[in-house]
Amino acid sequence: MNRTAEMSDRSSERAMLVLTFDLQGETFALEADLVREVLDVAPETAVPGAAPFVDAVINFRGRVIPLADLRLAFGMGRSESTRDSRIVVIEHELDDEPALIGLRADKVHEVTSVPLSDTEDAPSVGLRWRADFIRCLAKREGEIIVVPDLAQIFATRGGAVGTVVPFAQT
Amino acid sequence: MSQSDPVAIFRQEAQDLLEQIEQGLLDLAHRPGDRDLVDAVFRGLHTLKGSGAMFGFDALAAFTHHCEGAFDRVRKGQALASAELVAAVLAAQDHMRALAEGREASIEEGEALLARLHAAVEAGGGAAPAAAPAETTYRIRFSFPADALANGTRPLPLLDELRELGACDVRALTDQVPPLAELAPADCCLGWEVVLTTAHPPSAIEDVFIFVIDDMKLEVEVLEADEPAAERAPAVVIEAAPDAAAQAAPAAAGKAARGGESVRVPAERLDELMDRVGELVIAQSRLTQLAAGSADPQLRNVSEEIERLAAELRDTMMVVRMVPVGQLFNRFRRLIHDLARETGKDIELVTAGETTELDKTVIERLADPLVHMIRNAADHGLETAEQRLAAGKPATGHITLSARQAGAEVLITITDDGRGIDRARVRAKAVEAGLIAADAVLADNDLLQLIFHPGFSTAQTVTNLSGRGVGMDVVKRTIEGLRGALEMTSEPGAGSVVTLRIPLTLAIIDGLLVRVASARYVIPLAAVEECVELSPEQDLRSTGRQLLNLRDQLVPFIRLRELFGAGTQPDPYQKVVVVATGQERVGLAVDQILGDHQTVIKSLSSFHAEVETFSGATILGDGGVAMVLDVPHLVAAGQRQDARLRAAS
Amino acid sequence: MASVLTVDDSPSIRQAIKIALGAAGHEVVEAGDGAEGVAKANSGAFSLIITDLNMPVMDGLTMIRTLRSQPSYAGVPILFLTTESDDGIKAEAKAAGATGWVTKPFQPDQLVRIVSKVLAA
Repeated sequence: MNRTAEMSDRSSERAMLVLTFDLQGETFALEADLVREVLDVAPETAVPGAAPFVDAVINFRGRVIPLADLRLAFGMGRSESTRDSRIVVIEHELDDEPALIGLRADKVHEVTSVPLSDTEDAPSVGLRWRADFIRCLAKREGEIIVVPDLAQIFATRGGAVGTVVPFAQT
Repeated sequence: MSQSDPVAIFRQEAQDLLEQIEQGLLDLAHRPGDRDLVDAVFRGLHTLKGSGAMFGFDALAAFTHHCEGAFDRVRKGQALASAELVAAVLAAQDHMRALAEGREASIEEGEALLARLHAAVEAGGGAAPAAAPAETTYRIRFSFPADALANGTRPLPLLDELRELGACDVRALTDQVPPLAELAPADCCLGWEVVLTTAHPPSAIEDVFIFVIDDMKLEVEVLEADEPAAERAPAVVIEAAPDAAAQAAPAAAGKAARGGESVRVPAERLDELMDRVGELVIAQSRLTQLAAGSADPQLRNVSEEIERLAAELRDTMMVVRMVPVGQLFNRFRRLIHDLARETGKDIELVTAGETTELDKTVIERLADPLVHMIRNAADHGLETAEQRLAAGKPATGHITLSARQAGAEVLITITDDGRGIDRARVRAKAVEAGLIAADAVLADNDLLQLIFHPGFSTAQTVTNLSGRGVGMDVVKRTIEGLRGALEMTSEPGAGSVVTLRIPLTLAIIDGLLVRVASARYVIPLAAVEECVELSPEQDLRSTGRQLLNLRDQLVPFIRLRELFGAGTQPDPYQKVVVVATGQERVGLAVDQILGDHQTVIKSLSSFHAEVETFSGATILGDGGVAMVLDVPHLVAAGQRQDARLRAAS
Repeated sequence: MASVLTVDDSPSIRQAIKIALGAAGHEVVEAGDGAEGVAKANSGAFSLIITDLNMPVMDGLTMIRTLRSQPSYAGVPILFLTTESDDGIKAEAKAAGATGWVTKPFQPDQLVRIVSKVLAA
C-alpha cells in the first residue's frame, strides 16, 4: 500500500493538517495532532553515550524527555541556536509505547492544511536523503515540504552510527 | 468497574480465598490430622460458595458446594482428609479459579474433578452416605394472633421457606375473617394450610417457624404415614432441639494472628500517591533553593520545616508500599508441588527471610523471573532421586529461596543442591551459538554470564517446563529493568546459586550531586563509600595506570570528564567519590561535590535506556536535569579498564 | 435512619450490605470477624447487627452470645446470614439469642425489607 493511501486512512479525507518548520533552510511538516507544545529553547542536559541523533534531554513540565535532532537524520550539520530556534514537543510511539519527544527546529511556521492531492511519494532515486525516512513530499506555492517518517527515524535512531563522544577505553 | 463495586471486590476476594484454601490444603498434606486446618479449608470453601452465589457466580458456587460438602464430612468425622482428597481438591483449584475469573471452564473437566472428589471421599469415608430418604407428606396448619402483622410478623417469607423444603400446596383458611364492616385492616385473620411433600425431616419444618413460634399456633401432621405418632406439639420438638451441639468456636486461622486493623487500597492509588510525593519532593527542593538565596528568616524556617515533612512523608510512602517477600514465596509452594509431580523428582522448597520487605511493584515484577529460575533449577539443576543417591546425596533435592536486606538493596537467592552447571556444555553451546570463538579464553564468571545472553539455551531438549522461550536473557533484562543485578555461581556436583540484587525503592533515592565540567550528575548515596581529594600531583602521576591508594588498598578510578567527553580543563582540586557494588569498588573523579540531593528518579525513554551508564534522570531544584549514574555498570567498567591497563603495561 | 453493624469475613458481602442498606438511608459499619464485631459494637451504639456465622477468630454464634450477655445489646435485634445447607443452625442461633435470619444469596431489596421490618418491631 503506498504511503499516500496510508495517510488517507488517518487524516481527513482530502487534506492533512500539519505544522511546518525549518531545518537548515529546508521546510518540514508534522501532523498537527502529534504536537503537544512548541517551546522556546530550554536548558538541555547532554546524555553522553547516546546516539548523536538524540544526544540530550530536557525538563518538560516535570518530565525528562529526549531531545531529537532531525537534521542529523537528514545528513545536515547541527545548527547554531538563534532567536527563532524552537523545540517542538510531540507525542509519538517509541518502541511500542507512547512517549513525549522534543524535536529541534530552526524556525517554526504555522499550522496549515495540505490537500492530499498535492502530496506524492518520495522518488526512490535522485533524492539526497534516505527514502525510508520520508513519508511523502508536499508541494505548496512552488516549494517542497518534506513530511518525515518519524516512526522509521526513531526506530533506527536517526540512522546514525556511533556515540556522541569517544569513551575512554571502556 | 469502580472499586466499591461488590462484584469487583468479590473477584479479588475469590483470588485471596483460593490462595488461602490452597495453602491450607498444602499444609494439610503434611498434617492430615490437624482439625484447625480442616476447619480453615472448610470455611474458605464455604465463604467462596456463599459469596459466589451472592454475586451471580453460580457455576463457581455449585462446584465449590461439592468441595465444601466433602470437607464438611471431614469436619464431622465422617471422612478422612486423605492425601487423595487433598490432591483432588488441589486439582480443582484451577477450575475454580477459572470460574471465579469468569473464564470459560470445561464442563467435562468439572465433572471429572467432581468424580475424583467423590471417589476420594468415599474411599476415605467412614459412614456411607445416607441413602436419599423417602419423601413424606405433611399437613401444616398455622395461624397468628390478630396483632401479629402489627408486630412485624410476615407470613409470606414463611410460606416461601416452606416452599423451599419441597412441593407445596397452599390454602388460605378464611374461617376467622370477619365481615368487611368489622374487619380491622391491620389485623391478621387468615390462617394457612400447607400440604408439603419433602425429604427433609420434620424438624426442618419447625425450623421455619422457630423465630415466631412463641406467638402462633402450629400443627404439623403426617399424611398417610405409617407411624401414627405425628409430631404435633412444636414446643416439645423445640425443647429437644440440638442445643447440645456445643459448637466450639473455630480456632483462629492457624498462625496468622490478626494484629491491628488494615485497609485494602488499590495499587493504582498507591502509585498515584507515590507520584504526588515525588512531585512534592521536587517542588520542595526548589523551595529550599529559593529560601537559601533569600534573606527572609521566616521563609527559611518554613522551607526547613517543609523539607523535614517531605522527607518524613517520603519515608512513610516507602514503607506503605513495602510488602513482605513471603507473599511471593508462598505462591511457589504450589509450583514446587507440581514440579515434583511433573519431573518425578523429589523436591523440597526451603524458604528463608520471608519477612524481608520489598516495594509492591518490584515484587510483582519479580514473580515471573523467579518462576523461571525455579523451573530451571527443578528441570535442569536437580538430579533424579536415583542419580542423587548414586552420587552420595540425599534423595530429596532442595531448592532454597532466601531474601535479606543489605543496605539499600534486597538480596534474593535461589539455590539448588543439584548437579551444578556443566561448564563444558555451556562453552560448547556458546560456540555453537556464535557467542564466543572456539578458542576464546574466558574467566569462569564470564563463562557463566553467557547463559544470560540472548540466543543461548542450555536445554538439550526443550522441555515442557522451562522451554517456553522465556529465556534467562529475559530474566536478566527484567531484573535490570528494576535497576537490579543478577549474579550466578555454581559448583559442579554441588549445585548453583543465583543472586538477585534489587534496590529497595524504585522511585526516590538519596543521591550525591556532583559536577563534572558544566554538567551535573547524581550518584546514589547508598552506593557511596567515601569521598577523597585528588590533588593535581596525584592526578598527573596516575595517568599511566589509574589507581588510588586508599589506606593501602589500590582502588581503580575513572575520570568521569573523560568518560563523558567534557573537553575542558579539570578543576585544580578534583574529588574522587568511591562507590561500591558488593565487593568491588571504583573511584569516580569529579570536579566538585555539590551535596546531598533527594532524587526522584525519572526513567528514561527507550532512546536513553540503552545507555548503560545511566539508570535514570532527575530534576533539580532549579529545574535543570541531572543524569543518575548506574553504579554497578561503572564499577564493572572500572574493573575492565584496570584489567586492560594492567595487561598493556 | 438506623445505625447498622455488619459482621462478615467476606468483604464483598459486607460491601453489598453496605450499599443496599446505605441506599435505604441506614448508616453501615463493617467488621471482619466476631471479635472485631464485639469491639465495634461496644465502641458504638447500633440499632441492628447483621452477622455471618462462619468467621475466623470468633464465629457468629459466640459473638451473639457475648453481646447478649451485655445489657447494652441484650435487646438489640441481631440477624444472621445463613445458606440453605446450614442444617440445624437456626435452632442454635435462636438459642444463642438471634432475632431472625437472612438467607444467602439475597437480593438487596429483600434485605432492606427484612431490616425495615426488624427495626419497626
